[in-house]
Amino acid sequence: MNQTQTSTGPILTTDGIPLKVSLKKAERINKIRAFLLVLPLLAFILITFLVPIGDMLARSVDDRQINTVFPKTFEVYKKWDRQGLPSEEVYKTMFFELKNSEGYSVGKASTRMNYSKSGWKSLLKKSKRKFKKIEEGPFKEQMIAIDKKWADPEYWLALGQMVDPTTMGYYLNAVDLKYDSSKNIVQQKENRRIYNKTWIKTFKVSLLVTLFCLLLGYPISYLLATLPMKYSNLLMICVLLPFWTSLLVRTVAWMVMLQQKGVLNNLLVMSNLIADENRFQLMYNQTAVVIVMTQILLPFMVLPLYSVMKTISPTYMRAALNLGASPMHAFYKIYMPNSVPGVSAGCLLVFIIAIGYYITPELVGGKDGQMVGNWIAYHLKTTLNWGLCASLGAILLAMMTVLYWAYNKIVGIENIKLG
Amino acid sequence: MRKAIKAAFFGLISMAFVGSAIADITFVSWGGAYTASQQKAYIDTYSKGSSITVENYNGGLGEIKAQVEAGNVTWDVVDVLPDQAITGCDEGLFVKVDQSEFINDMVVPPVSDCVVPQIFWAYTAFYDKAAFPGKKPKNIKDFFDVKKFPGKRGIHTWANALIEMALVADGVKASKVYEVMSTPEGIDRAFAKLDTIKDHVVFWSAGSKPLELVSSGEVVMALAYNGRIGAAILSEGKNFEYIWDATVLEQEYLVAIKGGNEKEALEFMAHASTAESNAEQAKYIPYGPMRKSSINIIKKGEPWFITSSGNIDILPHMPTTPKVLKRAVIGDPVWWADNGAEVHERFGAWKGS
Repeated sequence: MNQTQTSTGPILTTDGIPLKVSLKKAERINKIRAFLLVLPLLAFILITFLVPIGDMLARSVDDRQINTVFPKTFEVYKKWDRQGLPSEEVYKTMFFELKNSEGYSVGKASTRMNYSKSGWKSLLKKSKRKFKKIEEGPFKEQMIAIDKKWADPEYWLALGQMVDPTTMGYYLNAVDLKYDSSKNIVQQKENRRIYNKTWIKTFKVSLLVTLFCLLLGYPISYLLATLPMKYSNLLMICVLLPFWTSLLVRTVAWMVMLQQKGVLNNLLVMSNLIADENRFQLMYNQTAVVIVMTQILLPFMVLPLYSVMKTISPTYMRAALNLGASPMHAFYKIYMPNSVPGVSAGCLLVFIIAIGYYITPELVGGKDGQMVGNWIAYHLKTTLNWGLCASLGAILLAMMTVLYWAYNKIVGIENIKLG
Repeated sequence: MRKAIKAAFFGLISMAFVGSAIADITFVSWGGAYTASQQKAYIDTYSKGSSITVENYNGGLGEIKAQVEAGNVTWDVVDVLPDQAITGCDEGLFVKVDQSEFINDMVVPPVSDCVVPQIFWAYTAFYDKAAFPGKKPKNIKDFFDVKKFPGKRGIHTWANALIEMALVADGVKASKVYEVMSTPEGIDRAFAKLDTIKDHVVFWSAGSKPLELVSSGEVVMALAYNGRIGAAILSEGKNFEYIWDATVLEQEYLVAIKGGNEKEALEFMAHASTAESNAEQAKYIPYGPMRKSSINIIKKGEPWFITSSGNIDILPHMPTTPKVLKRAVIGDPVWWADNGAEVHERFGAWKGS
């Protein structure tokens, strides 16, 4: 002990190791232990969150499905000047690659080819069946004899979009653009432009829902935070009860409530407020989506608001009033700024949930209430165009990131408070 | 310790083997009266050892493709639409089936090598008799005529059958529908006709919804699966009436999912697709069997349909009788497998505009 106090060298532990090193060692073990404790969580996030997102991003640009089936055809295809019909050589390589293809590769490729031009699917299937009987060229004439689609330059030009192993085509598709036959980016045909409208609609509905949730949620949370315990508990149960009820049950209940022959319209007609033939159209449209989603997402606004308001000391307001502020002024100057963290948390939460909503628009949206989520589900399940799904999802993700970034710049993320 | 782990390990493996010897089957179908008919006709009577779990889905190959690609197949036998039967078979999602037993006994040849026959069903227009006390709608033209028959129409959220019906309502002969649809002008023409009812439609996506819409008076007419209409009339005593015009006839098949319990699935499918099973199903839901010999079984057995208050003749509710077929459109799954994606997207744009 004496030695360490008198010498100018590093402080040593009893076994002669410098204290700093020994401390570091002990700390490292602690760090490793702590890391090991979070490792399962880390692995969980990696496997269930990052890997799928990476997979989604990869799918949104991946275009190899067909390249693996017709590699040689694409090689000779690249030499074609895209005028008239391709040469005999292109037909010939296509013929042999199709004829000799095995397994299900052609089936998968043809699904992809159909996105660029409808009709490829049956063309390839029929041709493959009939090619078995053909041994010798000239192939061009024989292929055209099998199906005259082989003489349609549109099909050949559509192939040009698939030559590269990656494509931006799905992203273009997701914003109503496409490649034309010479790979210029052009607008989608007018009667197929749906996504831009859907994007705007999705934003509009999410913003409206957020706004209504805030307008309804703010006073409720204020009451919750300021009422005496026995009333506020009851009110809290009123907020939470629907929250615990199944989403589907609530949505269907709204259907019963709002439809033209539903409870609300019946009441209005019975009390002679409206005529029988002027019943409100409140169901199966965008209005219905906004109403139902507002009700469903309201707790996500109330809970963060409440938890923040609960922490605002009532003495602040009393002090403001004491100092001569009018109640309105005191509320505006003192209470509102203090509740901003809750407001931002609630708004962000509701908006993020709303923008990806699927089941409610599907059930009550009718013809003009469908959001981006519905189109993702549609392509996922029905057309199997997973590339398009992935690009729609990636755009949603990107928009949320931008929004988060903008939010951080304007309000500051440290001002967010969930509880 | 090691020994214990080893024992547990082998125990697990042997359990897996025992499990696969009497593997259970998950049978996936559309729910409602339809699944109930399958349950009674050939699931309850199946006694080959596999116990069968029934699940519902809403069509589409998405879930199946996801299961096969992830190598985690939990569905074994699925009830699919014909265009999905084609695509799924081509993409290798389904198991190829030995079709020699029934191939010569079918009303139309099977759409792919992976299917066993189930039933014919149809998109049919119908109404509640109470909604039209005076003149009643008689054909598909009336369905598209909101001046003659005012009121809302219930239609489904996808384009199949709507395009066909719109064209027939616009004057195309039922037998020429797909010829017209194969031209770009034909599709334009169908959408122009759909435009005429656009402000008067309510959309549905679940099969039970149109019945509810018509019952509650939310719409005056709707399109629905004919079997659901039949079940409502026969079993629930609803006052519905079919409009047997431009009825779009669709095929329905069973497939086995690749990577599932294939052996048991195929055994079960063989049982489910016998002429007797096909006919038996019509006791509970008025869909048309796909096997010729099943129709004979039903004809001989009339009154065939079982209700709580005695049996009823089923043939007037079938979509495959000569009277209905004369004015029906036979759905072309190949056309839809080819053009579906494009037409659906356009239909979506039409819906949203």
